[in-house]
Amino acid sequence: MLRLVSRRARAQWPLLAALIGVVTVGATLLGTCTLLSTRTAERALEVAMARAAPAAVDVTVYTGTVEGRDVLSVAADTRTVVTSALAPFPVTTTARASTALRALPPALAPGTTVGAQAYLSGLDDLPTRAELVTGRWPHDRGDAVVLESTAQLLGLTPGRRVRLGAELTHAPVAAIDVTVVGVVRPLPGRGWDRDPLAAAGSATGHRDGRFRQPVNAYGPFLVDFADLVTTGATVDRMEVTAHPDLSQANRRDLETAAAAVRSADRRLAGTLGDRVRLARVASDLPLTLRSADDQRHVTAAVVLAIAVLGGVLAATALVLAGRLTAGIRADETALRSALGTSRRQLAATATLDAGLVAAVAAALAIPASSALHAGLTHLPPLDGAGLTVRPAIAGAQVLAVAGGALILAAVLTVLSIRPGPEAGDRRTRRELLARSGADLMLAVFAAAAWWQLYAQPTAASPRADAVRVFAPALLLTAGTALALRVVLPALRGADRLAYRARGLALPLAVSEAARRPQAVATGLLVGLACAAGTFGVAFDTTWHQSQRDQAALSVGTDLALTLSTTPVAAEGTAVGTATAGSVSPALDRGTAVGQWLGTAGDAPRLVAVDTTRADALLRGRLDGDRTWTDVGAMLAPPTRVSGLPIPAGAPLVLSGTATGDTSLAVTPQLLLQDATGLRIPCTGPPVPLDGREHRLPECATADGLRLVAVSLPVAADPDAGSVVGDRTAIAVTLTVPPAGSADGSDWTATSAPPVPSKLRDPTVVLSATPAGTALRMAATVDLGGAPDAARNLVATAFPDPGPVPVAVSARFASEVGADSGSQLSVTVGTTPVPIVVTEVVPAVPSAPGAVAVLADLDTLSRARAVTGDLTFPVDAWWVGRPAGPAAAQRATALHLGTVTTREAEAARLTGGPLHAGLPAALRLIVPAAALLLLAGVVLHVTCDLQVRAVEVARLRGLGMSRRGIRAVLLGQHAGVLLPLLAAGAAVGALATRIVAPLLVRSDTGAAPVPAAQPHWPWPAEAALLAALLAGCLLAVAVVVIVQVRRADAAHLRVAP
Amino acid sequence: MSSEPLLRVRGVHRRFRTGPTVVHALRGVSFDVAAGSMVALVGRSGSGKTTLLNTIGGLDRPDAGTVHVDGTDVTSLDEDGLSRLRREKVSYVFRNFGLIPVLSAAENVAAPLRLARVTPAERERRVELLLELVGLADHARQRPAELSGGQQQRVAIARALAASPRLLIADEPTGQLDAETGLSVMALLRGVVESEGVTALVSTHDPVMMALADRVIRIHDGHLDEEATGQPDESVPDAG
Repeated sequence: MLRLVSRRARAQWPLLAALIGVVTVGATLLGTCTLLSTRTAERALEVAMARAAPAAVDVTVYTGTVEGRDVLSVAADTRTVVTSALAPFPVTTTARASTALRALPPALAPGTTVGAQAYLSGLDDLPTRAELVTGRWPHDRGDAVVLESTAQLLGLTPGRRVRLGAELTHAPVAAIDVTVVGVVRPLPGRGWDRDPLAAAGSATGHRDGRFRQPVNAYGPFLVDFADLVTTGATVDRMEVTAHPDLSQANRRDLETAAAAVRSADRRLAGTLGDRVRLARVASDLPLTLRSADDQRHVTAAVVLAIAVLGGVLAATALVLAGRLTAGIRADETALRSALGTSRRQLAATATLDAGLVAAVAAALAIPASSALHAGLTHLPPLDGAGLTVRPAIAGAQVLAVAGGALILAAVLTVLSIRPGPEAGDRRTRRELLARSGADLMLAVFAAAAWWQLYAQPTAASPRADAVRVFAPALLLTAGTALALRVVLPALRGADRLAYRARGLALPLAVSEAARRPQAVATGLLVGLACAAGTFGVAFDTTWHQSQRDQAALSVGTDLALTLSTTPVAAEGTAVGTATAGSVSPALDRGTAVGQWLGTAGDAPRLVAVDTTRADALLRGRLDGDRTWTDVGAMLAPPTRVSGLPIPAGAPLVLSGTATGDTSLAVTPQLLLQDATGLRIPCTGPPVPLDGREHRLPECATADGLRLVAVSLPVAADPDAGSVVGDRTAIAVTLTVPPAGSADGSDWTATSAPPVPSKLRDPTVVLSATPAGTALRMAATVDLGGAPDAARNLVATAFPDPGPVPVAVSARFASEVGADSGSQLSVTVGTTPVPIVVTEVVPAVPSAPGAVAVLADLDTLSRARAVTGDLTFPVDAWWVGRPAGPAAAQRATALHLGTVTTREAEAARLTGGPLHAGLPAALRLIVPAAALLLLAGVVLHVTCDLQVRAVEVARLRGLGMSRRGIRAVLLGQHAGVLLPLLAAGAAVGALATRIVAPLLVRSDTGAAPVPAAQPHWPWPAEAALLAALLAGCLLAVAVVVIVQVRRADAAHLRVAP
Repeated sequence: MSSEPLLRVRGVHRRFRTGPTVVHALRGVSFDVAAGSMVALVGRSGSGKTTLLNTIGGLDRPDAGTVHVDGTDVTSLDEDGLSRLRREKVSYVFRNFGLIPVLSAAENVAAPLRLARVTPAERERRVELLLELVGLADHARQRPAELSGGQQQRVAIARALAASPRLLIADEPTGQLDAETGLSVMALLRGVVESEGVTALVSTHDPVMMALADRVIRIHDGHLDEEATGQPDESVPDAG
């Protein structure tokens, strides 16, 4: 038997090579996909974790109130616990601590009626968090630096010694003497928000919960952390942050560390015991690892689906090769049967034959898949994601290759035992029924798979499941099988038409194409490979577009600078200069809709920006032909606020009178707007309405500011005894330099809620005076009732906008039951703002899939201002159309907060280590499909022409020239290939439309927001189809030319 | 019959090389065939019959010698000339019928007429006539696989006559048929030679065929041994 197989292999080596080639291609594809979904995926997880932002992997231990004697040991034990939790990774720890407030010498803060307190803060890395203004950094025990503002308030200069006295709420401890050696300025974005006074340097009327009375707090006095822990001072709060070095991470160690971090709270409590009042471990590391793992699974699911598709393609190619082989060996099989070889012996020979093919193919495919995988990792996007590897063999890869080769060999064995019909035979009714049944079953399974895919819950698991893995291959195969049903009738129609021609070449070519229906395997392979190739290209585009859509919607704009500090005037100008884009302040935070706070952990979101520039600022796909310009136009206020221009440093003077006997005072609040639309409230001290002029604090800290609103809460002067009388007319004038005419037509005065009746007949008039523009406001105040009842005169440079027009997300509309015209209210800060829904959009920018509201920030601010709330909450700067990728770097360099860009997010989603495997696998299936298609075509044409060599010679005998015969054969094969490729492309397009969007998942495995839309890249698809057609025709042409040249009289002599 | 022979073969040699072995298939064959006659070419298997027929029909080229068909020097024709010769003057009937499997009987018969670019109306008329002639008018739409061996050979003969050739070459036309069917095919061939005025050169082992021929040419190891006229040769073994 072995001799037979060996001799046959020598005699039929081209055929054998083709079989081995097909099995090798299929097994190589399986091996490569296995490596992508195992080795690359594991590496991707490690790279992603190594590249994770520090905040995503750091572990921070917060401890509260540590007695002085325990501070040193607590700090050391905390470092030990947190370091051991992150083992075996190398860890860098930083620590900061602040002491309890301690008495400050009265001489340093004279004139205050409440006690002056100060505190020490110790930081490991002080020079990285602040810049030195004067003096030096602390390096000796007792050295301290102070913030600029503290230094100014307390008159501290380098060299000054300060004694921090008793801790008021603790047992008496020794005073601490420090020497101020420098003055520093805090750098933005360096964690100063966690300073007890948020780096303000001081706070009057500070309450920290320990004192019954407010105190004036100053500080911090910044010392080295190591110095602080030895002072014996009670530490009020301490943070120890551990940053693991994950550059050499592997999955097992990461999981170990994540588990240890999850249980670190318990170990910390056990270690620290009652030396601390509270201790808490905070870390996003477990969440980051889980999120990365989810992303890995999402990518692996699609890679596996592609592997299955490749396997089906290879199996189809093998069915074709097997059938052709069986056809060519039919005589030999018949002879062996005639000589008495049993079916079992025939099966044994076929099994041996197929086993040898599988063994050789597996031996080739293992190194080939390793090399192909390594090669892929050196190409985009894998190389850009840092996933480059050298060729190596993995266990899973060997198993996949061997398994795939064996399965394909089994297919070959079955085909060898049950040869297909010979060429020219008409199919029997039984065969036709069997094929119809198979097609029907395929169609039913495909429909079921599609339904399962369609009905997947939006929050499905990210892990690969059978539906997602097998559905694409099933749908493409079923679609191709059904399309073949259309191709043959179409060819028969063409046959009828072609026979009207006068010559022989065309009708003969079409007849050959239409009347040889037995090559189903070839048709299936050509159609399926074309469908797989076109689907691969289109799915790649669909996936990329969906990732870009997700990135655009999640960022909401081109560049978002999420602020870590309160914005100041002209900050937007600096952002604009750095980014060269269209800048707007943005509000992006949770809110309440009426009394509804949303579902657990998922509060409604309120997003507000300058919608007059919606086209430039807002990103995220809208349905239909709507644009953000259309949406923004419905939300934007009809006119811009002009306000009163205030030069930088201009002295603002307020004077007022009251008619009654009660001394009244107003606490003026001004709202100023800068060129970028940022509104900055400025609050002055209470001003008595005594007819005299009072200069207000310097509110105009930058050029280009405009006064847009004034709020004057009226109250009885606390120093002026009892309230006399019920009603008092007040008149207040705010003079804003410079001198000039003033148009006061836009200014409106109102009495702010909640009890507007307490302040009646509010008026505002603008007039030009030599000192500047005078804003004259008047009203009648009802002094009855509680002395602290709201009596607030508000003057605004705009009328009451009424309910704020908003666009709401589809989920908002669904969950709240709102529609266009619905009137609701949302809470901004503590102020309820009435809104009216004017539009329902699929999702609100920066709030994908959320219950969210989009409003114009100006209108929102106006609605709040007319109620007397002049605060202007801003969370970010949004920048539209920034100039180039360097804009993000320049914005980051401002140290105002975290910069996120749409492009960077899109790059992360498409080319990040956890995602890059998917496009790489998609790019693998396209050439693999093309290769198998070409191999199948060459095999089929070669065998067909060999079988028909005599027929070709007879055509010559009929007087047909070689050129004519070539035309017939080329026409025949082109006539078959063209409709097959067209059918394959149609199936690919259909699959792209109905399947591709369902295969795209978000990072978490949930359905993407916005929903993926199918994309059919015409240029790429046209190029692919042209390449496939050209390749096929070239291959056919070569085979035809060679075979026709060989078809001579010898064939007539040896004709059977 | 005219005095000028329709076929003139002079000193034709043909050798085939198979590896180191050289087979001398034809060794200086010369003979003439008069127009309108039916000549039987007989000889053992491997004697060179098919090579001689292929050389005469232009499917093969001799190493030496000349072949003239109806005044045309076949050996000097290029590929196009040979194709034209086969379209216009020479037609074949193959032992294995040589029908195109995907075409119906009528379409097979029409194939030479299409090559000659005969008008559709004339083509249909001629196909109908020829199928009537070979007794297969009722099988016009059937494909070769649906016809018996004898029917297929009749279709092959009809196709060979379609383009009104001057010379019909038949290579063992009854070789695949049973005796009774073979006899009917031979009778048909004899009939069409007489009715269509065509010259036929038929290679055969069949004594009946030899009996029906006007002349018998024997070939042995590439040589023509002797000629006879309408006499069966007992020395030629049956191919079967």
